[in-house]
Amino acid sequence: MLTLLLLAALAQAPVPAADALPGDPPDAGTPAVVPPLPVATLPPATHELFERLKGRVAQVRIIERRSGTRSSIGSAFFVSTEGHALTNYHVISDIVHHPEDYTAELVREGKESESIPVRVVDVDVVHDLAVIQQDAPVTDWFELAPKEPPQGTRLYAMGNPHDLGTTIVEGTYNGLVQDALYDKVHFSGAINPGMSGGPTVTSDGRVVGVNVSTMGNQLGFLVPVVHARELVERAREVKESSPSALLAVVGSQLLDNQQRITERLLAAPLPTQKLGDYHVPGRWSPFLKCWGDTPHEPENPYTITSYQCSSEEDIYLSGAHRTGVVAYDHAYVSSDQLGSLRFASLYEATFSNDPGGVDATKEDVTNFRCRVEFVKVGGIPTRTALCLRAYKKFPGLYDLALRAATLNASTSGVQTSLTLAGFSADNARAIARRYLEALAWTK
Amino acid sequence: MDEVIFLEVLEADEVHARHRLDRFPATVGRGYSNDVILDDPKVSASHLLIERTEDGRLMLRDTGSTNGTFRVEPWARLAELELTDDARVAVGDTVLRFRGRSHVVEDTRVTAIPVAPQVRPFERPFAFPVVLAVTVLTYLLREYLTNYQKTDWGSLALAVVAPVFVCFVWSGLWSVASKVARRVFHFGAHGAIGSLGLLGLLVIPLLIGVITYSLGLGAWVRWLYLATYLGWMGFILFWHLRYVTRTEPQRLITVLGLVLVCFGALTQADSLLGEEDFSSTIDFDRTLLPPAFQWVPSKPVDTFFEDTQKLQEDVDKLAKEKS
Repeated sequence: MLTLLLLAALAQAPVPAADALPGDPPDAGTPAVVPPLPVATLPPATHELFERLKGRVAQVRIIERRSGTRSSIGSAFFVSTEGHALTNYHVISDIVHHPEDYTAELVREGKESESIPVRVVDVDVVHDLAVIQQDAPVTDWFELAPKEPPQGTRLYAMGNPHDLGTTIVEGTYNGLVQDALYDKVHFSGAINPGMSGGPTVTSDGRVVGVNVSTMGNQLGFLVPVVHARELVERAREVKESSPSALLAVVGSQLLDNQQRITERLLAAPLPTQKLGDYHVPGRWSPFLKCWGDTPHEPENPYTITSYQCSSEEDIYLSGAHRTGVVAYDHAYVSSDQLGSLRFASLYEATFSNDPGGVDATKEDVTNFRCRVEFVKVGGIPTRTALCLRAYKKFPGLYDLALRAATLNASTSGVQTSLTLAGFSADNARAIARRYLEALAWTK
Repeated sequence: MDEVIFLEVLEADEVHARHRLDRFPATVGRGYSNDVILDDPKVSASHLLIERTEDGRLMLRDTGSTNGTFRVEPWARLAELELTDDARVAVGDTVLRFRGRSHVVEDTRVTAIPVAPQVRPFERPFAFPVVLAVTVLTYLLREYLTNYQKTDWGSLALAVVAPVFVCFVWSGLWSVASKVARRVFHFGAHGAIGSLGLLGLLVIPLLIGVITYSLGLGAWVRWLYLATYLGWMGFILFWHLRYVTRTEPQRLITVLGLVLVCFGALTQADSLLGEEDFSSTIDFDRTLLPPAFQWVPSKPVDTFFEDTQKLQEDVDKLAKEKS
């Protein structure tokens, strides 16, 4: 749903960022967003600001070595005299994963012919940030804001959307997204592919966030400046960095992050939700968004009520690999008309339906290995399967899938499915166990 | 030589035509004036003459043929030859053999079954219709039980038509083979065997599936599947072949066994070689049956999670070997 703002060469059609969130009503009731003004009537402040700041923003180009040309682009901005610049991790992820195939360079406005090679110094994969550095010192750079501005503050997002040149976009600060698993600032303004890694600044030119993603319709998201500040401070300490060290840094950040989520989940009591004759795990933590529905199809001799919760967020590792996901769903299947054998084939068919998993490719993960058994949960027999796959580049991290179906009744039952992406095996098992034990029969 | 001899036209050691010669001299050639006519374009119109000498011996003479006459072993061109029992000569592309009435034939071969032939099960009256009916009913029942939507008459009809069609085509092909090899169609027998085979295709996975689920059997069940399928294929092919060839049953079993073992090994080649394609899907047995089918007790949650420890080792091993 979220569109990351990396502009890949193969996806340069000017549409992606404008993708409306499926199912979302158009925001007719919120005319709060300032409509973009024609250039001629820009208030002096904005155009002065742009003049002052445009030299501090640059375009990042990821160069594929064999073709010698750019494979994707993003934005970056300078934050120190030593040539440090901030951008998004997803802009430079190719370099972290395939340093032998890709390099990065910066191109500044008006100096198209002078591309400056840069290296990746440090990354914060959880918050999608990276620090890159050029060798030459920089005279003109951004200051990071010391604190979050109040909601409604006029902000200016800068970057290079769709390779159209450096632009400035007005919008408003709308605070941190509530109940998010990974901190994000809600920015009401148009952010488009290619602006990834660009700064969003206050009218006095201090950075309050880094452009990261959009849901279309002026719904933009920024990485809060506090994470940027931490990363820049850490990056200044880094003397040498090699690509393999970066991969290890990413791995340890993922391990820390999953530990944080695990502790958060296990510390909270797991509320249950009534579904048919059963109790199932409900909204475990505020960062989970839950939805439910029962499709009404009078022709079908059965009903399926579904309930699902998901963090609705993930961590970008590479173009084809996401992690840091907690999601689960339940389906209460029942029928008054089907006999027990025909119900069993329905029950088997719904059990064979897997919710969409987490993106990954052969070079990221192994195949799943599963164990399926009859397990007694809360006094009722269930058919339970637990599957695990390991990350190839990040030892110690796994994806877990848990599937269970109750077997105590012959024409009704509840099936549940838990997906955990990017957890240590022990943590994943602990969460899965707590989750499974929340299942109960109400009769 | 005898008073009467037999001239045999050979084709690769098999007798293609046999002529009784009792009046001499006798002539052999392509022309219609001959006693024995050979339709071989390399044979002369008048090629050989067989005549009895005064002392009773039979002599074969070449009557001036274009391409000549040859003794077969050892190969040599000849103008005349005294005929002995089992003598062979070649004219054109044809080999001729001469045998007298006193030629001794081989001993009678003793048959393997010295009892009266039994009526084979598949030849009983109505075997084909009965087996086919059982098969169709089973397919129909399966279709009914696995459809949990509104009754779908189309797929029910298909569940009847498809097995019948497959049975008739399959047994038709085998019948043609029988007709070619043994001059009888045996359509009823092939039909009964084929229907039984089709029934097995449905019942075997169903039965093994139920047993695996009910007893909570492990992953080794796939070998059981393989063995049962191969055994079943062997059984069906054995009976089809009994109606096609005259090979001894023992020999047929050995040959079929070897062929099926090779076939089974080929189908398992990639897993035996440790090849596994990448897949992001979750692969486990999804079978779910009514509560009455659970014949083993459920494990406590503790035991289940302890058992899953091994999964971690398995995937760690995978991650290491492929990177």
